[in-house]
Amino acid sequence: MRVATDSYTNALISQINTLSAQMNNLENQVTTGLSVQSPSDNPGAMETTLNDLASQSAQQQYGNNITTLQSQANSIYSVLQSLQTITSQAESIATEAGGANSQTDLTNYANQVTSLIQQAAQLVNSKDPETGQYLFGGTNSGQQPFTVTTDANGNVTSVTYQGNSSVNQTEIGPGVTVSVAVPGVNNTGTGPQGLITDSRSGADLFNHLIALQNDLLSGNASAISTTDTQNLQNDENNVTYQVAYNGNIQTRLNTASSFATSQSTALNQAISNASSTDVVQAMVQLNQAQTAYEAALETTSRVMQISLVNFLG
Amino acid sequence: MLGLFGTLNLAAQSMQTQMTGVEVTGQNLANVNTAGYTRQTVDIQTSPDIMTGIGPEGTGAEAASIQQAVDTLLNGQIQGQQSVNGYWNAQQSSLQSVQDSLDEFLSGSASSSSSSSSSNTTTSSGLSTLLDNFFNDFQSLATSPTSIPARQTLISDAQTLASAFNQINSQLNQETQSLNSSLSNDVDSANSLISSIAGLNQEISTAQSSGGNANDLLDERQQDLNNLAQLADIKTTNDANGSIDISIDGSTFVSGTQVVNTLQTYNPGNGNLLVVSSATGATVPFANLGGSMQGIMDARDGTLATLQSSVNALASSLITQVNSLYSTGYSLAGATGANLFSGSNAATIGVNSSLINDPSSLQASGSATASGDNTIALEIAELADASQSGLQNQTFSGYYGQTVGNFGDALQTANNQVSNQTAVMNMLTTQQSSISGVSIDQEMTNLLGFQQAYEASAELVTTINQMMGDTLGIKSGT
Repeated sequence: MRVATDSYTNALISQINTLSAQMNNLENQVTTGLSVQSPSDNPGAMETTLNDLASQSAQQQYGNNITTLQSQANSIYSVLQSLQTITSQAESIATEAGGANSQTDLTNYANQVTSLIQQAAQLVNSKDPETGQYLFGGTNSGQQPFTVTTDANGNVTSVTYQGNSSVNQTEIGPGVTVSVAVPGVNNTGTGPQGLITDSRSGADLFNHLIALQNDLLSGNASAISTTDTQNLQNDENNVTYQVAYNGNIQTRLNTASSFATSQSTALNQAISNASSTDVVQAMVQLNQAQTAYEAALETTSRVMQISLVNFLG
Repeated sequence: MLGLFGTLNLAAQSMQTQMTGVEVTGQNLANVNTAGYTRQTVDIQTSPDIMTGIGPEGTGAEAASIQQAVDTLLNGQIQGQQSVNGYWNAQQSSLQSVQDSLDEFLSGSASSSSSSSSSNTTTSSGLSTLLDNFFNDFQSLATSPTSIPARQTLISDAQTLASAFNQINSQLNQETQSLNSSLSNDVDSANSLISSIAGLNQEISTAQSSGGNANDLLDERQQDLNNLAQLADIKTTNDANGSIDISIDGSTFVSGTQVVNTLQTYNPGNGNLLVVSSATGATVPFANLGGSMQGIMDARDGTLATLQSSVNALASSLITQVNSLYSTGYSLAGATGANLFSGSNAATIGVNSSLINDPSSLQASGSATASGDNTIALEIAELADASQSGLQNQTFSGYYGQTVGNFGDALQTANNQVSNQTAVMNMLTTQQSSISGVSIDQEMTNLLGFQQAYEASAELVTTINQMMGDTLGIKSGT
């Protein structure tokens, strides 16, 4: 075929453009680590990656939710442990006071019970250190759940609950919700069991402690040894139930946390498979493109330097 | 018999003929880098014989014509290919610009896919991340329903999301405007080329009817035809007098030396310009204009319009779904009924301005009396995984991913087509160049041939001159 002089320049320009674009693309892939950066690079991979990134972001959020719930569950657990101690102490007092005691001893016991009521009230008014919300006020967490009223002698006359019996659900996986929170009081007969008072278990810790306090003050030994002791047993059982419930929830949260981590790892792998550069392959291709680029420049520049003009005297 | 004077005349004519060859070679060499130049050759023929007693005797050679080395079939193919190239180039450049406006890119730091067990740093830059953040903020709020910082983060991210919708919408509108301007420019350029071609038809037919040589004008017209073919799919017909008639999509624009029709833009009412012919009326757009003008309109009314409509559908659905839940919620103070988002589409979406100064008024609770309730926050967070009937039963992020994927498909197709069509065009121009392009080697060889022939003819003049001197010397006896 006849070759015109401008064919060399046209061919060189075309080859240089193609190879430059190829090298630029490969260099970009190597430096960024991504084989897909814009939608047109690989539309299918881009769509998959965007979906995977959305899932990954959701998994990370589930992980954050789980961490918050774990912290809340731990805070609740420490309150439960202290409450167990308080109910045990109250039971011991009731048992000891059931024997023959002087009124002075009974009054001393009563003072101890008053102190236990105050301690328990302080405990159940705890806030979650992470979210700053009351742990046992139900969803009405805007105000302190329990308010203690005392008489002129410092004896507790009533403990009022200002929260409600609802608890919040939190998502720990797609469509999977869990609740860590325990309402202070639930007399509705449905929903989560109340920590202090619950109509189903018969627990009513504050009123039972107030009754004990009052029975001790009035020296009503029979009431102490029968009714009060039995009631406090119910309260202790209720706290024990809550401890078990809390343990179950923590186990569930740990499982969900592991699952979220493994899901996140799997998604990382998927994102990487869809959009990451195979650096070794890209480097080999880059070398090939560079070699071709140099060869194109070398051969064309040599050919372009020569024409018949060079050989005419 | 020619005799001395006849032979002297033959030598002089030969010198002129070879000189013409040198001139044409010079013209070719001078235009070796001129775009669209077609190399010329001088057609040398023997001069008419004269009859003598011993038979016909030659009278030398003469330059009969200067011709172009042209393959009209190939030129026609190139012209047709220009139209296809123009179409895909216009699509590519339009959609490339739209891709930048959409601003949905992946970024990340270098990590090998073969060792991808390490944590992934790939992130996306556009709406997808903002949508994820928005719903994640509701998750965070659901875990701490009364937290003011969580509310502030949510409001701020909602504002960012709304602004991103506004910005993408405005950028895509600008792209549409910019494509309309490009279309107007192309229409002006096409009309100017049509007028230029009609003018060249006039000059060519005048030159050729008077027996002149219009080679350079033919090159100029071919260049104009190629440029016009990039703008629209033209059909050409050669006239007997050397003119070329042009028609586009069945309408004649150039007939002989006359421009009988022009292209005009037409606004059908939505601002998206169409192209009509001045002859067929202002409201009948071309069905198949071809070339870059068709490419621009197809990119604008096809891929770009679909993208805009998808982004709008996403924004509308988000506003409706979020507001329908949100408006039933209660703020920390127990207020209800307000919307989170204002507006109705990507252009108008905004965040309820009263929230910006008062995060506590965010309605996350499901109960007027329980400020710590998270029912509404949780329900909105769960929208992220819910399929939306207004979005082809996909989730918000799934629909957006599909929208980006579909757009990417269109641009990738345009990129591949440009690459393929460029290869075809390179092949055709190489073929054309092999016929019509100037080769310095060939021209130098021709030059040597003409030079030596010229020198030989000059030597003939010298010889005749000497012979004439000898003849005169006989008479004078010297």
